[in-house]
Amino acid sequence: MKRFLLLAITAILTFALAACSNGSTAKTNSSNSEKSDSKNGQTSGITTTIDKPVTIEFWHAMTGHLGETLQKMTDEFNNSQENITVKLVSQGNYGDLSKKVMASAKARTLPVMSQAYEDWMTQYIQNDLITDLTPYVQDEKYGWTDEEYNDIVKVFRDANTWDGKLYGVPFNKSTEILYYNTDMFKENNLEAPTTWEELRNAAQKLTNKDKKVVGLGLENSIGTSFPTWVRQAGGTFLDEGSNKIMFDSPEGKEALEFLNGMMVDGIARLAGEDEYMSNPFGRGDTGIYIGSSAGIPFVSQAAEGNINWSAAPLPKGKVGATSFQGTNITVFSSATDEEKLAAWEYLKFMTSKEQTVFWAKETGYIPVRTSALEDPTWKQYIEENPVYGVGQLQFESGFYDPRPVGAFDMKNVVSKEVQSVLLGQKKVDQGLADAAKGAQDALDKAK
Amino acid sequence: MNDTPTIGKTLKALLYLAPALLIIGTFNIYPIIKSFLMSFYTDYDYFKDIVNERGLSNYSYIFQDPEFWLSMKNTMIFVIGVVPISIILSLGIAVLLNQKIKFRGFFRTVYFIPFVTSVVAVSIVWRWIFHTQYGLLNHFLGFFGVSPIKWLSDPQMAMPALIILAVWKGLGYNIIIFLAGLQNINQQYYLAAKIDGASSWQRFKNITVPLLSSTTFFISIISIINSFKVFDEVFALFGGQPGPANSAQTVVYYIFNKFYGEWDFGVASAAAYALFIVIFILTLVQLYVGKRKVNY
Amino acid sequence: MQREALSKGFVYTLLIIGGLLMILPFVWMISTSLKAPNEVMIMPPKWIPDIFHWDNYVTAWTMAPFARYTLNSLVVVIASTIGELITTILAAYAFSRINFYGRDIAFAVLLGTMMVPGEVLLIPNFVTLANLGWIDQYEALIIPWLASIFSIFLLRQFFLSIPKELSFAAKIDGCSDFRFLWSIMVPLAKPALITIALLKAIGSWNAFLWPLIVTSSENMRTLPVGLTSFSTDAGTMYELLMAASTMIILPMIILYIILQKYIIEGVARAGIKG
Repeated sequence: MKRFLLLAITAILTFALAACSNGSTAKTNSSNSEKSDSKNGQTSGITTTIDKPVTIEFWHAMTGHLGETLQKMTDEFNNSQENITVKLVSQGNYGDLSKKVMASAKARTLPVMSQAYEDWMTQYIQNDLITDLTPYVQDEKYGWTDEEYNDIVKVFRDANTWDGKLYGVPFNKSTEILYYNTDMFKENNLEAPTTWEELRNAAQKLTNKDKKVVGLGLENSIGTSFPTWVRQAGGTFLDEGSNKIMFDSPEGKEALEFLNGMMVDGIARLAGEDEYMSNPFGRGDTGIYIGSSAGIPFVSQAAEGNINWSAAPLPKGKVGATSFQGTNITVFSSATDEEKLAAWEYLKFMTSKEQTVFWAKETGYIPVRTSALEDPTWKQYIEENPVYGVGQLQFESGFYDPRPVGAFDMKNVVSKEVQSVLLGQKKVDQGLADAAKGAQDALDKAK
Repeated sequence: MNDTPTIGKTLKALLYLAPALLIIGTFNIYPIIKSFLMSFYTDYDYFKDIVNERGLSNYSYIFQDPEFWLSMKNTMIFVIGVVPISIILSLGIAVLLNQKIKFRGFFRTVYFIPFVTSVVAVSIVWRWIFHTQYGLLNHFLGFFGVSPIKWLSDPQMAMPALIILAVWKGLGYNIIIFLAGLQNINQQYYLAAKIDGASSWQRFKNITVPLLSSTTFFISIISIINSFKVFDEVFALFGGQPGPANSAQTVVYYIFNKFYGEWDFGVASAAAYALFIVIFILTLVQLYVGKRKVNY
Repeated sequence: MQREALSKGFVYTLLIIGGLLMILPFVWMISTSLKAPNEVMIMPPKWIPDIFHWDNYVTAWTMAPFARYTLNSLVVVIASTIGELITTILAAYAFSRINFYGRDIAFAVLLGTMMVPGEVLLIPNFVTLANLGWIDQYEALIIPWLASIFSIFLLRQFFLSIPKELSFAAKIDGCSDFRFLWSIMVPLAKPALITIALLKAIGSWNAFLWPLIVTSSENMRTLPVGLTSFSTDAGTMYELLMAASTMIILPMIILYIILQKYIIEGVARAGIKG
């Protein structure tokens, strides 16, 4: 009964509101019509306007300083707007975020916006959960010019495009870099390693049993960056066209053996109960740390008063390779037209040159606009803080993670098997075969 | 007054029962049936709530899934680790508490404290105690010359860590039940045995253990059933992961992951029913033995 | 005689060592929660911090919306405890004092469903609540927990132990069923009701899996769920994590110490698992 009543009220309200907004937008439409007609008549045009307060939620997984920075930017946006208020909701880590989005999709309590990886978005699109942003991009009044659109770094644009439709905008994009403890490197007369060989040697030299120092520190989630290692070894992780797992190959084996060899020799370790390697690295428990460029503020925080450090691009195997990770912002189709438009305003703001530079400066993520890379403030900033410039040095060797349906499952399996090998539970061959089989099963099941 | 059922009484009873039955019917009884049906959903559109296909393949899937068997194995290890240790320790402490000692109430209070605390919160405390380099446990073990153990990051040690936490947490509960059982034993037996010159160990072995057997049995079944359902500890101890390389993945964690991670309701329901059957058998055993006890 | 004293000493030693092991984690928790960040990760560990950093509690309290989490937990605990008491009293009365058709069968069915582990109910209940539009609302946190078969069973046993003659006497005095229940049975059953309420309150304060699944916005999280998300945030800042854990653990310990008689008796009598 209550639900019926609610439905009825909603229906009446919607009708009334629709009538209102039609009246008020009529003018804007007519004044715009000439322009859009002259273009090609195709631009449908966004007819909604926002003339009363709208509050929209944005679900994210940004913790610590990242969360604070996001809050700062959002506050600035809210202050610049008359009617739009963006409310941030932290959902813990990415795993939690993904779960909450799925639960809310079922319960029809989705927010207006969320951070999302590309493979999540594939699944959302399959279930009609997210909005095609193309009409917003192309809109005369609210959209981007071609120049503004093309300014978004291409690999990020492509990662957000399915069948020619844009479903999200890149937000926090990172890549893996190599952090190193400059004090220890000086002590041992070392330079930042540029090849696997040098990496191994450095790890060996830095390891000091008496001081409980292990040379190289890797994240627990080393399995999720396994595609990078396979590529560096000259192999292929996944054939995108046929969705076929390819890493059970000599190259895949070489990559896993390289990592495992260092673990066995005790010159590499995983973060373990420290959860993220930035903490032990900052305490001086490891000399090198391979991890996301988004970890820069965490490393600074952990290192303060303990160690001196710097960063360099990842060492090369047979080839150089590093994947671009991090999420995009996407808008759910369950939102009302007003909410969607409000969200679009927010997305434009967040990807503007000023904001993406600010975000990058504060967090270690990479600016998402080409023009930002040329921006004098940014250039000056990375000159003064070279570690922040390391990520973009790797644009050339960068690729974006495969985004098939079932990727969640696939990553889980690979992550677990790689961990099993590195923690001495399985032999390399066995682990690799099991990982490949499990990953293939996950992809086939999701199809 | 003649107390036989009448229509009037039945209607009145229904009125009294209505609130409880409404809740229990909706959230306890209906889901038992629904969950069983869902375990046969092999193609289910979760968002639109449409079942496209039914079949047995969810069951064949879990029985072929190495992850499921890993979860079963880990759960078994957990049960085999927790139940005997917990029973031996709590029986020992209960016997000590049952002596004529001062501060008995105080000791009982202390031992029971962990039981009333939040599993999640104490698991986070234990995460800190288990820390390899700076944790309290390895510090103490260091006094005995034990080199630091990677409790939470070594797949071999994840289950032992979980077992230590669970034994600590549940000890107080078992002690209370054992104490209640001990107080039911007639003191005459002990007096008689003492006169016959039986040592305290003999008295324990020949009087306490046999007379307490039904209590012990009750505790073991309850502990086994509860150990089969372990989840919160795993989630909080390993920071939302089922341990390094899934080494602490339990059956309930498996269900949780299939349900809330992969949104595969069919497989998750099938796994939940498999768990149910194991627990059901245990409960039947308990009921059967419990009945026999009454008939004695 | 001497042997007796020796063994007494032995008993006390064992009990004290055991007791220390039981409370040491809490002592360590509180000690860590009062430390400066640079006193936490050191070896050998320091038991008493140089300065008591009470501000860790303020920092933790404000770093995540713990005030809101606490409010949610209190709302859920109070509402579900009161609700369960009401449904339990009514149902237990019907099962113990009214002889109606199918009573024994109905009671047996209810007891039978107690065998089903809660995990089996999780998925359908989630779907039901989603269809009702209750996900991420207080309804989802409270309503499924408003009745407990176990409590009904417990209270029924207690009611059965109250002599029937009482009700006959009351009837003769012209007392209605309902008034009899509230003014005579309920006061008599006070100890059992307190036990039921306490175990419910503790269980509901500590509950994790269910609130984890049915809440998504920060505003609806209860303390344990909020704590796990805070632990992602705080990483290895153990002084803050321990401060937050203390805030969740301490209220229940205090409640328990004050009212332990009821809890321990309840557990001893019926073997309740909280």
